Amino acid sequence: MKKRILTAALGSALAGLLFLGQSAWAADLKIGIMVPTTGSEATAGKDMENAILLAVDEINQAGGVLGMQVTTMTGDDACDPQQATAAASKLVSSDVTAIVGGYCSGATLPTLKIYGDAGLPFAIAAANSTKLIDANQGNAFLVNSTGYDQVNTAVELFAAKGAKRLAVIHQGDGYSEDLAKLTREKWAGDGKEVVAYEVVNKGEQDHSSLVTRIKSKAPDAIFWTAYYADGGLVIKQLRRSGYRGLIAVGDGSNSPKLLEIGGKATEGVYCFSNPSVDYLPTAKAFTDAYKNKYNQAPDAYSTLAYDSMMLMADAITRAGSTEKAAVIKALSETKDFKGISGPVSFTEQNTLGHSNFVVLIAKGGKWVLAE
Amino acid sequence: MAEQTQSPRGSKPIVQSVARWLAPQRNRIIVLAVLAVVAMVLPLAANNYMLEVLSNAWFYVVLCLGLNIVVGYAGLLDLGYAAFFAVGAYTTGILTSQFGVNFWLTIPVAVVCSMAAGIIIGGPTLRLRSDYLAIVTLGFGEIVRICARNLEITGGAGGLIGIERPHLFGLHLNQAIHFYYVFLALAVLACFCSYRLQHSRLGRAWQYVREDEDAAEAMGINRVGAKLYAYVIGAVFGGVAGCFFAAKMTAISPETFMFQQSVLILVGVVLGGMGKIPGVIIGAFALVLFPEVFREIGSMRMLVFAVVMLVIILYRPEGIWPAKRS
Amino acid sequence: MSSLDIFFQQLANGLILGSFYALVALGYTMVYGIIKLLNFAHGDLYMCGAFVGFLFLSLVSGLLGESWTGILCSMVLSMLTIGLLGVLIQRVAYRPMLSAPRLSILITALAVSMVLSNGVMALTDGDYEAFNTDLGFEGLEMGNVFITYTQIVLVVSAALLMLTLFFFINRTMYGKAMRAIAIDQDACRLMGINVNRVIALTFFIGSALAGAAGVMAGVYYGSIHFFMGFVIGLKAFTAAVIGGIGSIRGAMLGGLALGLLEAFGTQIPFVGSEWKDVFSFGILILLLVFKPTGLLGKTEIERM
Repeated sequence: MKKRILTAALGSALAGLLFLGQSAWAADLKIGIMVPTTGSEATAGKDMENAILLAVDEINQAGGVLGMQVTTMTGDDACDPQQATAAASKLVSSDVTAIVGGYCSGATLPTLKIYGDAGLPFAIAAANSTKLIDANQGNAFLVNSTGYDQVNTAVELFAAKGAKRLAVIHQGDGYSEDLAKLTREKWAGDGKEVVAYEVVNKGEQDHSSLVTRIKSKAPDAIFWTAYYADGGLVIKQLRRSGYRGLIAVGDGSNSPKLLEIGGKATEGVYCFSNPSVDYLPTAKAFTDAYKNKYNQAPDAYSTLAYDSMMLMADAITRAGSTEKAAVIKALSETKDFKGISGPVSFTEQNTLGHSNFVVLIAKGGKWVLAE
Repeated sequence: MAEQTQSPRGSKPIVQSVARWLAPQRNRIIVLAVLAVVAMVLPLAANNYMLEVLSNAWFYVVLCLGLNIVVGYAGLLDLGYAAFFAVGAYTTGILTSQFGVNFWLTIPVAVVCSMAAGIIIGGPTLRLRSDYLAIVTLGFGEIVRICARNLEITGGAGGLIGIERPHLFGLHLNQAIHFYYVFLALAVLACFCSYRLQHSRLGRAWQYVREDEDAAEAMGINRVGAKLYAYVIGAVFGGVAGCFFAAKMTAISPETFMFQQSVLILVGVVLGGMGKIPGVIIGAFALVLFPEVFREIGSMRMLVFAVVMLVIILYRPEGIWPAKRS
Repeated sequence: MSSLDIFFQQLANGLILGSFYALVALGYTMVYGIIKLLNFAHGDLYMCGAFVGFLFLSLVSGLLGESWTGILCSMVLSMLTIGLLGVLIQRVAYRPMLSAPRLSILITALAVSMVLSNGVMALTDGDYEAFNTDLGFEGLEMGNVFITYTQIVLVVSAALLMLTLFFFINRTMYGKAMRAIAIDQDACRLMGINVNRVIALTFFIGSALAGAAGVMAGVYYGSIHFFMGFVIGLKAFTAAVIGGIGSIRGAMLGGLALGLLEAFGTQIPFVGSEWKDVFSFGILILLLVFKPTGLLGKTEIERM
């Protein structure tokens, strides 16, 4: 009998899965959202989800796409490759027409195979590791600029500030390592010296020994390529040790939290950022609507998430059908789509046609555009 | 530890009646046959998501059974089991994606590599008490992960991409349903091996060493050899599972092999019932299905999972379906 | 910076980091010594300590300002709260499990750890909270070696806490009872020691120390997060084992040793700092091969 109870429990659990998996409405257009809503990156993921849902609301109020109302289904990738494949399979099994989302590159990477095999159009809103380009089967489109563009912006800034000796620090995950490696290659390729190339373990708080090591190499500029939480700590400890040179951070660190955690030590830190709401005149209406609906300010990747959803709707309209191949074709033919973060066109590799990176500087506890 | 802990009041009669019903060989075979048919036929009614989740569950069955040999049979605490899984996955990943070796040829290499890893970890630890064993295995697991993160050949932190999916008798294993059957077959194989090992000479030696090391040695059992065998065999389970994991995911990165992964596998073994094959299978399934079933409640699901785990272990300290200890 | 400067700066870095490890390792080792449990939830108590301290600090900062007094008050309050939380955990989760197999109680500890970290995650929405106490970067400068006053205060307070504990264990009746229970619980019961109360007291002290370390870390590093207990929990466990788990002096020594290992591990010639954990775990394994019970652990024959 115990066995029967267990079997029954197992059976009902499976039946539950089956039910959840197949409860689709036939007459609607269903879009899958893949973002991390749990785990360490949940904050960013929820912000993106909010922005996408806002876009969906606006689309539906304007009459939907091809006369169909848009519904959504969120798959939580938890920023973890294994969870991401389960989430992606769930979305594929739920008969969605297209996928929007993708924040962590490491978690997005294995899903490309799943979406690719299913032939689903996929607008990658935030994830931008260059490994995504190689693994893309042609159905995925990177709405964010890739690491290459960011490195160009970064190297330009360092050179303009007269830096000769560069130190690069990453965090031992796919995204920040990719950026760090590209920077090192580019800098060394220009004939200049990378004096330190270091890794910080995620979740460690004390970086003083690393700071001492870096300081002893006397770099003119330090580039932190990873996320804001540990970035704030690293910057604080660098300044505390007496380092006075230039510090710059990558787009993963573009958050007011970095300034909060790092305190006054972050004053004058540069940040390479995808265009986020605060610096976009076009995003005023979006910011107001977001604040109205969620009672909080939109975060760094919300505009890209919103644009990705709008782009997908636009592509389906242009394709004139929800047929996957047609939508992918329409996406690839996108020409200067007017997103709030800037115009969107794609290269032959399905990456964004132009670099959208801007340079910010921390002033008085706030990020402002650097000239 | 010798006697079975009291079951909570009320569940005892149920347990006994089940045990009584399961006692004759015939009834056990019926149950097994029904389960086998369900496992074989289920994919025909399942969508891709279910297949993905279920193949993941079978995959964890293999890992948990492998760890069960170390923990359940030989009584050695291992907090770094993900290392063996990593060795297998990376062996296949590196050989197929960078040297173009056929997937099936990488399996023997992975077996050898994970055996070597088992000997390396087993060697220095055999003299240690169980709690020290915990930290050494943990440290070993971390060392393997950090090496995978830092080395060029393993693709660094970004890991390896573009691992080829294998062909089997001309069939390209490319769909969720293929991998369901692959992992089901692996799990059945793992069950069979575990069962045979448990009832072998070596299995009895493990039991003896687990219950009383000194007495076992006095009876002429090679204590060191038995422990080393447990590590090596457990490592092979993990390594082979890792090979297929790499093929299924097509991309692997060091994040998969963190300490939490080792803990998760250990939780599956202990929660299900150490040393009992059906118990371990239930544990592995609970591990995978629970978070999926509660996907809908969003960010609270891991909290709910943790609370449920705590309640289960408090009410059934020996696991859901514990082994009988004489 | 000359290599001598680097040496002394890393020495200072290692000792500061090591005193945190030592504080957390003490709780590990005390609990292990008395009930032979590897309390994996200990790192999460540290994390909870930081959050409770953050809460108290934001409450008292209205009254006392963000001063050292405010920090001290919130630290004491946080120590009390976390101490009680530790006792509660022991009462609810560990006490019923004392006769269960060793591995089951280990899994219980893991489950408690998950409940605590996921619970705080649910409460804080997984956000990083900035611990806003700008204590300034002023400090002592000796040549190129630089130590801030905050760092000095932290190390001194850690040392004071450890000294107090040391005297408590070696000079008081309760301390004696703790040491006795670690040796033979049944005999203690027969001698009229209230074993359960002493175990609860041990949990209280160990958890309170973790809470104190959490607040100190929050103040010093300036950011707290639901996951912050994980890494330090592992490190403290390592430190306790290096010193010989179960030994109070061993935990202090092990903490400092691990701190120094990591500091100098970033400085190994020819390889990068990314190998520092491999270095410290490698040393740990080597140490255990040659001295299977750690630096100060007692050799004992295990009977299941």
